[in-house]
Amino acid sequence: MTETLDVATSMRQTSLVDLLDRVLATGVVLAGDVTLSLAGVDLVTVHLRALITTVREDPT
Amino acid sequence: MNGPGTYLYAVARPFDEGLLADVRGIGGGELRLLGQEGLTFVVSTVDLGEFAPGLLNKNLEDLNWLERVAREHDSVVQAVAGVTSAVPLRLGTVYCDDESALRRLAGLRPAALATLDVLTGREEWGVKLYAVPTRPPAEVGAAAQPGSGLDYLRQRRAALDRRTLEARAAADEADAVFERLRDIAVLARRHRPQDPVLSGVKHPMLLNAAFLIDRDRVATFQAAVAALADEHPEGAVVLTGPWPAYSFATLDDA
Repeated sequence: MTETLDVATSMRQTSLVDLLDRVLATGVVLAGDVTLSLAGVDLVTVHLRALITTVREDPT
Repeated sequence: MNGPGTYLYAVARPFDEGLLADVRGIGGGELRLLGQEGLTFVVSTVDLGEFAPGLLNKNLEDLNWLERVAREHDSVVQAVAGVTSAVPLRLGTVYCDDESALRRLAGLRPAALATLDVLTGREEWGVKLYAVPTRPPAEVGAAAQPGSGLDYLRQRRAALDRRTLEARAAADEADAVFERLRDIAVLARRHRPQDPVLSGVKHPMLLNAAFLIDRDRVATFQAAVAALADEHPEGAVVLTGPWPAYSFATLDDA
């Protein structure tokens, strides 16, 4: 049972990382004076920080 | 910065807005098409406050916020890609109003139409390769105890050589898998391998690739991935998709 849960958690985490790989690191970046695009943000750092924080907070 | 802003999800050729009637944007916002001259943005209205530079950095470190926005963004892009060819935009592309977004659209026309031509009738698939050991690593204690300092150095040298060889073999293996699948794809690219801490998979990732596949070759591609999976230890080859063509969205003239 625990193993099933772990696998499910891991799958969910993996698919989120796959998704973030795409929505944060790919897709067209539009430059322009009025855009508030995330292009200027260091996304890799953000991504790592957010996820590492989560992993640390994970009670398991 | 507060008030309404225009959030952009994707660029597409004009299509029937009614096809997105059941789909909601970020924060539940209603989707709209914002277009001119044979090209349209799919947009919704968001609260600018959430995406203002200062607050945005804070929000991005909040995984709950990030996951929610990423999934909402993705569900719109997926819905659009299910209806027509779509060039996804980077998460968090927000303009102050529709007029500003429309002005930007005008300049994208040639590049957007060219990319839409490339993406038409094709979809993205992801393939990840992990270094899953074929057998458990040798017991640490099983190696002969070094009898002298020289023996110790020899053993240590041999271990380092072995690790270098293994790393080279793993890199070659990743290249080989990538090349084999690239032959079936229209376009292919490699993303940075995911950190085991983030992915939750304990084995190191050797390859994190995306392939743009003709819809009528998807079965061929899947069969090639299945064949690779058979040649590798269980769990080493992982297929994901189909994805909207995130990894192949470029507007070079932009």
